[in-house]
Amino acid sequence: MSTSTSSSVTFSGATRIYPGSDRPAVDALDLHIEAGEFLVLVGPSGCGKSTSLRMLAGLEEVDAGQILIGDRDVTHLRPKDRDIAMVFQNYALYPHMTVAENMGFALKIAGVDKATVRKQVEEAAAILDLADYLDRKPKALSGGQRQRVAMGRAIVRQPSVFCMDEPLSNLDAKLRVSTRTQIASLQRRLGTTTVYVTHDQVEAMTMGDRVAVLKDGLLQQVDTPLGLYEKPANAFVAGFIGSPAMNLGTFSVVDGHARIGDGLVPLPRSTVEAVGAAGQVQVGFRPEALLPASEGDPGSFAVQALVVEELGSDAFLYGDLVGDDLRADHVVVRLPPRGVPQKGETVWFTVEPGGLHAFDVETGAALPTH
Amino acid sequence: MTLSSTPGPTPDHAQPAPSRGGRLRRSFDRHWYAWAMVLPTVVVLAVLIGFPLVQGIWQSFTDLNESNQRSEVCTKTLGGGETCKPNPDAAKFVGLDNYVDVVTGERGRFWLWFTNTVVWTFACVSFHYLLGLGLAVMLNRPMRGRGLYRVLLILPWAVPGFVAAFAWRFLFNENFGLFNSLLTTVGLDPVDWFSHRWTSLFTAITTNIWMGVPFMMVAILGGLQSINADLYEAAEMDGASAWQRFRHITLPGLRPISATVILLGTIWTFNMFPVIFFVTGGQPAGESEILVTGAFRAAFEGVRNYSLAATYGVLILSLLLVFAATYRRALRSQGEVW
Amino acid sequence: MADPTLAQDAGAHTRAATPRPRRTRSPLASVALHGTLGLAVLVALFPIVWVVLSSLKPGYAIQSSEITLFVEPSFDNYVHVLTETSFPRWFLNSAVVAAFTMVIGITMSASAGYAMSRFNFPGRRGLMWVFLVTQMFPVAILIVPIYTIMANLGLIDTKLSLIIAYCTVAVPFCAWMMRGYFDTIPKELDEAAALDGLGPFATFYRVVLPLARPGLAVTAFYTFLTAWGEVAYAIAFIQTDENLTLGAGLQQFVPRFNPQWDSLTAGAVLITVPAALVFFFAQKHLVAGLTAGGTKG
Ligand SMILES: Nc1ncnc2c1ncn2[C@@H]1O[C@H](COP(=O)(O)OP(=O)(O)O)[C@@H](O)[C@H]1O
Ligand SMILES: [Mg+2]
Repeated sequence: MSTSTSSSVTFSGATRIYPGSDRPAVDALDLHIEAGEFLVLVGPSGCGKSTSLRMLAGLEEVDAGQILIGDRDVTHLRPKDRDIAMVFQNYALYPHMTVAENMGFALKIAGVDKATVRKQVEEAAAILDLADYLDRKPKALSGGQRQRVAMGRAIVRQPSVFCMDEPLSNLDAKLRVSTRTQIASLQRRLGTTTVYVTHDQVEAMTMGDRVAVLKDGLLQQVDTPLGLYEKPANAFVAGFIGSPAMNLGTFSVVDGHARIGDGLVPLPRSTVEAVGAAGQVQVGFRPEALLPASEGDPGSFAVQALVVEELGSDAFLYGDLVGDDLRADHVVVRLPPRGVPQKGETVWFTVEPGGLHAFDVETGAALPTH
Repeated sequence: MTLSSTPGPTPDHAQPAPSRGGRLRRSFDRHWYAWAMVLPTVVVLAVLIGFPLVQGIWQSFTDLNESNQRSEVCTKTLGGGETCKPNPDAAKFVGLDNYVDVVTGERGRFWLWFTNTVVWTFACVSFHYLLGLGLAVMLNRPMRGRGLYRVLLILPWAVPGFVAAFAWRFLFNENFGLFNSLLTTVGLDPVDWFSHRWTSLFTAITTNIWMGVPFMMVAILGGLQSINADLYEAAEMDGASAWQRFRHITLPGLRPISATVILLGTIWTFNMFPVIFFVTGGQPAGESEILVTGAFRAAFEGVRNYSLAATYGVLILSLLLVFAATYRRALRSQGEVW
Repeated sequence: MADPTLAQDAGAHTRAATPRPRRTRSPLASVALHGTLGLAVLVALFPIVWVVLSSLKPGYAIQSSEITLFVEPSFDNYVHVLTETSFPRWFLNSAVVAAFTMVIGITMSASAGYAMSRFNFPGRRGLMWVFLVTQMFPVAILIVPIYTIMANLGLIDTKLSLIIAYCTVAVPFCAWMMRGYFDTIPKELDEAAALDGLGPFATFYRVVLPLARPGLAVTAFYTFLTAWGEVAYAIAFIQTDENLTLGAGLQQFVPRFNPQWDSLTAGAVLITVPAALVFFFAQKHLVAGLTAGGTKG
């Protein structure tokens, strides 16, 4: 299958305010997606992911700002003039058409001759393992097959951009994992610019070249998966990306240390300076960034184990901080699978070097930690 | 605007230049096809209902009738031309006279017809609904022959209104109708159905019930089928009896459809012309007329009295508007958003 | 909305929601159920059956107070109606009027219903109310002003006048019903079609209409019935015998004091047959089609 000319996509201050609402569903989104890139839009439900995608596809009006595909301003173009294909959450297959007709419909509309349509449909069907189902109606397919037809319908057209809105959310857990890799590798093969929406941060981290995190219609951060994981721009991103989530809590700053439970964890000088007179800091550390320590070790703090989950390869300890300055709900710690503490035991940890994140208490913005 | 060399459908030539023309232009671009799709309907309704309605409201304040409708009297002159002068008897504005005449019974028998209409509408709609509900609930059970029952029970809907009216009039015929024959056969006196106000109305109501039940039944059947079957199973596990399930699941589940069909049914029955017209013909002596048929006779038999017809039309419309508003408010106060 | 099949079959809820079979129904309950339904069927059918039986009798036997099922059964009445009156002519006129009313009515109500279901255009809410109000203004009283309008348009004594008038009667309800049906067809299909390159009109007839068959069937049935055998407008607008439709024509058999019951019964049966045929084609879809319209206010 020949690869299509893919285009970059640029959101420039793109804003959508639904009628009857005064808060924008998407607020001045600035985002540039390179040609051929796989970008994932991720965020909690209702944060404006679908709206952003639909603005790009032309299904939703743009109230302010611009959207460009390549260097073409498509802000007010109709969907059909944008050269975009979309995979819907519910697939939106035409129930009255066969699989082959579904996949070839856009080409037929564009006036491509029958033989070419058939050829392209068959090629796409071969890639997606649908060759045996071309004459069936969608009703007679399994969920996974329908999902692949929806993909097929998109790739047959060789558009310059793919839009996908939670295309895996109707599959069972196992199929979701395998389809995830198939989509990612297919995209790499075709090299078509793809904007992929999901609320599942695991999907985002595993599939995207870059990931854009949205919250309440506002873009929080765009970076590679690893970049997001290691250098979250704010406390929201830090807490949203990663599973189990980063431990986050607000603690008082005493003498260049954060008072975490009974312990005093040293803060880097730059952090202390940034905190200034506020006297409090939001501190985050990932479950795997804690090292077992002994009572009295410098920088250590105590955790009382509530639940210990043993998964074989890892173990997770869920516990409470010991001490009065408690502001974090629970602390999650990843431990090696052997010799885990018992429920009710008190265990001491230190944060591994470089494993500490600090955020402003008011704004949540990341503070320097070097 | 730069056109990139992307493949795929070529951009439409009719594409408006972005950001020119502003919001109004965009609103039109976005909505013109919606308007185009409703336009034929709106035009036809505006011409054939909207215009007569507005005209009717105006006419109801005049004394317009067939004999005074010309505003000018023209006479041919010898030269072949015409001279026209204002018609001295032309229709004129009479204020609320028509309404006063109608409501005080000066012209027509408003209160008799109004009572008849209320009885007629109430009887018909309640029986339509209750019978429709009962039959729908029965038909919604799995059983042998269900499809056949359903087809046969809906069949009366397919009988054209005046044929149904004729068939029932035939059955109620005082001399050779089936009902009177049956009565005489079992040794009772035949009934002069059309000689009394209430028996006469009874024949019309029976006819209309027969005609209207299928519509209700079908609508309610659909409503029943849209109720989630899990609810019944959950209720059964909670130990609800059949009656309790009906009362607490079926009836609430039917509320949206019931609200709609009862409103529509009331409006349609209120204005149902052919049944009364063909079955009772107003017998005896106009005592079984409802508002529409009474108004029709009062206004159009003899010299056509347009202003009187318009007055009745406006009154009927107002009554129904009041009813619809009250009904909607009542539903809303019970939390139904309609 | 987790069902990814979308509108595979918009009537699918019909099947899903049917209560599971009762494990057992007591014989008594079974008898009561079938007895009640049987009785209802009897009531539903007997006026029709009685007219059919009467139509096979000679005139004198129809007007006899004895109850008989068959008296010298023959098709004489039908032969008389079909050969010695203008009935075939009226029948043809009615067929033309009903067919056009159906086609135009479906087109108007489907497109208006689609616009109301899909596009949030200014004036949408008002339109819904207008539709309801049109049902409130009594037809009988509208006849004269509509007659005047038709006269001004030069349409008196034409079939077109009837077609237009019947559309005004049927379209508001049908459009409203179609809107409800379209609401059950997922919007994503329209959006997929828009991305596939269809404009709004093409989306409507290539993607949405084929899925709206139950709604269309009800609309077809309803518009047909509105036009077929209607009397009031037909009498008012049609003046020559050759343009009369059935409803108006049959009134000639009902002179004030001497109705020709033999011709009337045969005519009534003949009128009902096409309506019943249309009904049989539509009936499978009636429940699904009508309800979708009804549950959405
Ligand atoms: N058609 C609509 N009308 C009004 N508000 C909407 C509409 N669609 C979405 N919203 C609102 O816009 C916000 C963003 O929605 P959406 O983009 O669908 O979120 P998600 O990130 O879950 O895909 C939500 O608060 C939602 O309630
Ligand atoms: Mg979404």
